[in-house]
Parts: sequence; C-alpha cells; structure tokens
Amino acid sequence: MASLYGSAHLQSPSPAPARAPQRIVSLVPALTETLFAIGAGPQVVGVSSYDQFPPEVKKLPQVGALLDPDTERILALRPDLVITYGSQLNAEAQFARAGIRTYSYRHGGIATVLESLRDLAMLTGHRADGERVARDLQARFDAVRARVRGRRRPRTMVVFEHDPGTLRSMFVSGGIGFLHDMLDIAGGEDVFGDVKRESVQPSMETLISRAPEVIVEIRGNLPSNIDAERRAWLALTTVPAVKNGRVHFLAGEYLVVPGPRVAQGVEAFARTLHPDAYR
Amino acid sequence: MPLSAQHVSYSYTSRRGTASFALRDVSLAIERGTLTGLLGPNGCGKTTLLRLLAGILRPHAGTVTLDGRALSDLSRRAVARRIAVVPQETHPAFDYTAIEMVLMGRHPHLGVFELEGPRDFDIAHEAMVSTGTDHLGDRAYMTLSGGEKQRVIIASALAQQPAVLLLDEPTASLDLGYQVEIASLLRQLNRERSVTMVMATHDLNLAASICDTLVLMRDGRIQSYGATSDVLDSDAVRRLYGVDADVRFHDDAGHLVVVPVGPAPSAVEGRTR
Amino acid sequence: MTSPTDATAHVAPATHQARERRHATRGARATRARIAATVGAFGALAFLTCLLAPLVGSTHISLVRAFDRSIPFADNVDAQIFFVARLPRVLAGALVGAGLASAGVVFQALLRNPLADPFTLGVSGGASVGAMLAITFGLSMAVGPVSPVPLATLAGAGAAALLVYRLATAAGRAMSTSVLLLAGVTLNAFFSAVIMLLQYVSSFTEVYRAMRWLMGDLDIGGFAPVIAALPLMAIAFVLFALLPSALNQLSVGSDAAASRGVDVARVQRLAFVSASLATSGSVSLAGPIGFVGIVVPHLVRLIVGVDHRVVLPASALFGAAFLVGCDLVARTLFSPVEIPLGIVTAMIGGPFFLWLLVRRG
Repeated sequence: MASLYGSAHLQSPSPAPARAPQRIVSLVPALTETLFAIGAGPQVVGVSSYDQFPPEVKKLPQVGALLDPDTERILALRPDLVITYGSQLNAEAQFARAGIRTYSYRHGGIATVLESLRDLAMLTGHRADGERVARDLQARFDAVRARVRGRRRPRTMVVFEHDPGTLRSMFVSGGIGFLHDMLDIAGGEDVFGDVKRESVQPSMETLISRAPEVIVEIRGNLPSNIDAERRAWLALTTVPAVKNGRVHFLAGEYLVVPGPRVAQGVEAFARTLHPDAYR
Repeated sequence: MPLSAQHVSYSYTSRRGTASFALRDVSLAIERGTLTGLLGPNGCGKTTLLRLLAGILRPHAGTVTLDGRALSDLSRRAVARRIAVVPQETHPAFDYTAIEMVLMGRHPHLGVFELEGPRDFDIAHEAMVSTGTDHLGDRAYMTLSGGEKQRVIIASALAQQPAVLLLDEPTASLDLGYQVEIASLLRQLNRERSVTMVMATHDLNLAASICDTLVLMRDGRIQSYGATSDVLDSDAVRRLYGVDADVRFHDDAGHLVVVPVGPAPSAVEGRTR
Repeated sequence: MTSPTDATAHVAPATHQARERRHATRGARATRARIAATVGAFGALAFLTCLLAPLVGSTHISLVRAFDRSIPFADNVDAQIFFVARLPRVLAGALVGAGLASAGVVFQALLRNPLADPFTLGVSGGASVGAMLAITFGLSMAVGPVSPVPLATLAGAGAAALLVYRLATAAGRAMSTSVLLLAGVTLNAFFSAVIMLLQYVSSFTEVYRAMRWLMGDLDIGGFAPVIAALPLMAIAFVLFALLPSALNQLSVGSDAAASRGVDVARVQRLAFVSASLATSGSVSLAGPIGFVGIVVPHLVRLIVGVDHRVVLPASALFGAAFLVGCDLVARTLFSPVEIPLGIVTAMIGGPFFLWLLVRRG
C-alpha cells in the first residue's frame, strides 16, 4: 500500500500508466499556471477558486482551494490527476480510494518551482515543452543576473502584507522561499536573509535597526490609497529607504504566485532595485 | 409608629403578561420595640411585604411610611439609615472577613468617597459584641459556621443603626442548634436592647417563641393580626395551612407551641386558591 | 432619633472599653494608610516598569545619543527606536494592562463571579468579528490617519456590549446577572463561529493577519493609536473611581446592597458601561489579550485582600506593570523573533497564579 503520509510527491496506487492524464484538476494556482505554460492547458478540466491566470482558466469550473476543496465536484469531473496541497491529506486519501492519482504541491524557492515544472512536464507528457520552458526561465534569470552583475547589492526588504495605512501586522520575506530567491537574482541583499523562515513579522524596532535601503511592497492588487501607505512609512524616517524615497509599490498576481511568471517578477524586482541597469 | 404599610398592593407580571397579585390591600403598623412575625405558607406574600417595608420594592398601590414620611419620598440612603435587612442567606462572591462584612453596614452613613472612621469601627465593634461575634473579626466569613455567619450578618445590620430590623427567614437554612442560638439572640436584642424587628418566617414555633405580635397571611392578604397569644390558635393554623394542630402554652419553654395532630391534609383540602 | 443599639448598658470595665477603642482607632488609621500604602507601592511598581522598559530591547541603543538634541530626529536611529518603537509600545501596554485588569475586577464584582474576565460578556468576540471583517473584506483604504482595523474593532465591541446590555435589562429594573452571563457566553460562541467562517473565506495572508491580531500586539509605532484610545479609557477610569465601595456592597448580594442604600440598577449600569469601555478601548488598541483581566485581579486579591477600594486601583496599576513586563519578555526573549503577546501573558500568568495559590495552601 502506498504510503499517503510520506514525503514522496507523487502519490500513485498503481504504476505510472502509459497514457498521460487527460483530465487534470488543479487546486494550486501556481501549478495551474505551470500546466498551461508547458502546454498541458487543454488537459485541464478544473481549477481552484483563486485561479486567475492564464485567462482561459476563467472558463473552467472552480472546485475550491486549500481549506475547502470540493471533493464531490472534483470527482464529478472524472479526473485522472488531481493536484493538491501537501497538507490536504483527507482529500488525497479520498482520491486514492477512488483510484485517482494525485500530485502534491511543495512550497519552496525558485528551485522548487523549476522542479515542480519538470515533474509536471514528465507527468503530463510534455517533457520536451517543460524542458524548454525551464530553460527559458533559467535564461531569463541569467540575463537579469548579468545585467546587475558588479553593481552594489542594496539591502532590501520585501513586504507582502500589512494593515492598511499603518505598519502593523507586517509580513516580510525571510531568508528562504521564492521571494527571497527572486530578490537574490535581481541583485538585492535580503535584509532578513539570516532568518531562515519564509515569512518574518518584524517589529518597529527591528525595522529601524535593520535599516533597509530599499523597500519593495508587493501585492496582488495595488492598494487603493497609495499616499496613505507612503505616509505610514514616514513614521520611520531614519530608515534609509524611507529617507531616500526608495519605498516602491509593485502590484500584480505574478509577484505573489510562485509559478512560471516568477521570471517576470524577478525582472520587476531588478528594474526597481537597479533602474539604471535598464535604461 | 416607626414603620407602617397602608393599603399596599404589589403584583408580579408573568412572562405571558398576566398579572398575579402577591399582595392585596395590606395594612399594618409596626410598634416601636416590638418583634413582629409575618407568618404564612409559601407564596402568601410575606417576603414581598418584607421587601416593600424595606423599600427594596415599590408598591403598585398604597404607601409604606417611616416616621410618617413615605419611603418613596426618602433617598435610598436615608431609608437605609433607618431600616436594615437580614436576608435568609448571604453568599458573598469574595472572601471578606467578618469585620469587613459588618463594616459594610456603615455604608449608608458614609459619603461616596468617605472611608470608615474610628466611630464606624466603634459601632461595628459594638454590633459584634451584641451578637457575640467580636472574637471572629479577622476570620473569613465563608469559613464560619451557619450560626456564626447569621450572627455576623445580624451584626452588620445592627451596624446600620436602624430603627427597624427586617429579617427574612432568619433560621430557615440553619441546624436546630443554630436556630435556637439565633432565636435567642433575636429575643435578647429585642428585649434587652429594644431593637424593633419584623421577621418573615414559616416556622410557627419560632414565631411563637419570640414574636410578641403576629401577622398571619395567606394569598397576599392578612388573615389576622395582633398579639401572638390572641392570634395564634388551632383555627388560625387550620385556616392558614389546612392542618389540624394543637396550640398550647408550654410551661418549660415559656411560650405557645404548635404541634400538628391527626392525619396529613389531602392535596385539595385547605390549599385551593 | 436615637438608635436602639445606643441604648446599651455599659457593663464592661473602663479599661476594657479603652483597649477596644484603641484597637478600633488603629483599624481606622490602617484603612486609610493601607489604601495609600498599597496604591503607592503598586504605583511605584508601575512607574518603575514603564521607566525601565523602554531602556531594554532587542537592539542595543545609546541613551545618550537618543536624548541628544543636536542630532536631528529624522537621522537619530537611537532616538527613533526609543521614541517611535519602544515608548509608545510601553505606554500602550500600561494603558491596556490597566484597562483590562480594572475591567476584570469590575466584571467579577458585577457578575458576582471571581472567574469572570473582561471577555466573558462577548465584548472581545464582537471586537474580533469587527477586526476580521475589516481584514477580510478589504477595507484596504485607511480612514484618514487611522487604520480601519481599530475602528472596526471598536464598532464590533460596542455592538456586542449594546446587545448584551439590551438582553439583560428592562428599563429601570436591575440587571439580571444570570441573563447577562448567558447572553455573553452565547454571543461569544456565536462570534467564534463567525470568525471561523470569515477565516474560511479569507485569503492566506488575510488569515495570517487575522490570527496575528487575535494573539495581541502592542507594536503601534507611534503615539497616535494611544491618543485615539485615550478618551474612551479616560472616561472608563473616571467611572471606575466611583465604583469600589458600591462593588463591595453589590458583591455580597443585590438585595443586601439595596437595603444598604445602593442604587443597584444604576451601579450595575455604571459597572457594565465602564468595564465595556475599558475592554473595547484595550482590544481596539492591542487586540484581545487574554489572562490579564482574570489573573491580575486574583493576584492582587491574594496580596491585599478583597476590599474593592484597594483591589481596583491596585489591579489597574499592577495590570499596567504586568502587561509592560510581559511585552518586554515578548520582544526580547527570542529576539529578533517576537512572541505574540497573548502567548506570553498566558505562559507567565498561568503558572505564576498556580504557584501563588499552592504557596497559600
């Protein structure tokens, strides 16, 4: 009996079939994007409630997400592969009982993004496409690295959440994870690089003492009142980023979804950190 | 006369909105220095009457007067300086000492931010002496025996320096020993220190033993009212409780005693409203 | 008119009377002195804690530099850490600690139950729902200089308090404490369900923000939130000052209090309103920080007795010191990582209380 609680990310009650899956349901937006990027889009029959990209997914049935996967709806779509979160053990067990293969998403850095991409490429019969996409992404990363090579790496902080209008409940990227990797490629030195966590909640005192030179606020959507957000940062005038007007606001789903568009995110970061490299 | 009720009525409104009268047209006058018992079966209105006399409830008809002035004309504090209440049971939520409980009786005599002064301590101490509780001062109230607790509460009521002391079933929750203890304390306070008292009770023998005046109540009305020896007899007991009883003077006890005789009453007889 | 109790035959010998009188007088002086000494001691503790707390933190700063006027504030890192990061936090901690501890004392007296705390009656549940609504449904714009979360929190707390109050009172009559308690417990359960529902429909980061808020946080980064909460808290404390003697009476029983001249309905209203104001203000400033409102009053009672005239002011002061102390631990123990304040208050408050109880036997 296959162990459903092991770390292997391919759960299969039977050996790999000859035919690639034709009816894929994905609960993970990052992997949905990946599927479409490697050409497996036509094989996708169901997506999560949070999926937005590419535009084709909006026509597909939505089947829930991390907290509320609608297993009935998923089963009604007669999938032969379901992409789940690693923590959705109950759902995976249900699918296994129904004889459906599952692929479990692992959250990690850019290396994991590429790994998952290659895994899915192999699984869905798009090995060559997957390899091509992976190499393209790698090339784009290398291009950015080349552009910023030799330049001084500013101490940077990537903020992805806080209370509107204040600096409370702030969540910033820590020393591991795809945001950190994006920053690293884009030529920035992560101010919280020493904290080996994906997210850090810094206190005001920590913010002041770490003194980032550049602050990049990223969101799925632009805050409705940017001026209020800028004003909030003015409480910490000794922070170099605030003093020198280097608090940047970037918006877009591609920034917060660790999928193939990560390259776009890296480029956005690079433009923000080293504008003179892009003139 | 210090405390009197004139034609008072009080009704409770049930959830469904129907009014039921707890008291109908009740009048009585408490003479100074008397120990009056309000006697009757459960639901007869004696507790309601006591609370009206205390000013805790306002009558829906009629008035309660104290020294000729209506209670409703007096401030709560003014009433509290003249009338004190001893409830049936006292369960403080926190671990007060006996002396703290007694000192709480000084509240109506103190200003909002005023603290107890030497005079208040003297009065509290005096009250504890007169109830035999002065040695319990720093003991936690909740650790005292039933009798000691009730004596402390009586002391706190006395500390109010009231003209009238109202007691609601003062011995109902006590063992026989403590019942006798409290009864004799009340009699002593009344006879030796002239404390005017009104006591609501269902204990016929307690009432007979210490009350000089009785108010017999049933269904919210007064059945009879007068000196104990005049009012308490077998007919009265039968009318009140539907029980055949022998009421006679007990030489050793020195007061009337009520002894039920004969078979227990049927459910219907004597209890219809 | 003389009282019957004055008509006492002085049978005791003169010396016995004199000794009793001296004892009584000593007691009287003790009450006034005791209150002053106790309040003074706790006040000193609170003051010292607030004085020393901003000096300590995860970063080493130079006080000399921090207070050096010649360095412009915009450039003075030490000053910013002291005056922007630490000092507002300490003041907020003192205000919230005092507010929650006092509210705990008052609710315990009102409900005649030593196990009540400021959150028993649903105020924090309502506040949490308000905060979650603000977090979940975007409200991504700030209202002027104030973030929407504290405002929504206040609105939620106020709504809950009003609802519970309406359920438990009929105009003019005294509050039914049992209805109060039941209404509060039911509302809390209902609010918990609503919070779970909101978390269910929220995005990941919204859920993180909400959960973070629920654990309590004093890191306000400026004096504005404290100043905003001040009017509410000030009103609460003024009302608190009127209550202690009446709370003593009320905690013995409603009828007993009434028979001693207490306007029971009015005192209950005052107690409910003041404690709800203090709780709402505290929760809107720092989130629902548990344990302060139940542990501090108990600790104080174990030290000073149960007279509310001492317990209420002492609890306010000790609550301030306690919460500032807990926040100090929260922000320095595993620096640079901060432990949420609610966790620290539970970890410190719980065992300390148990130890004190066991010691007393």
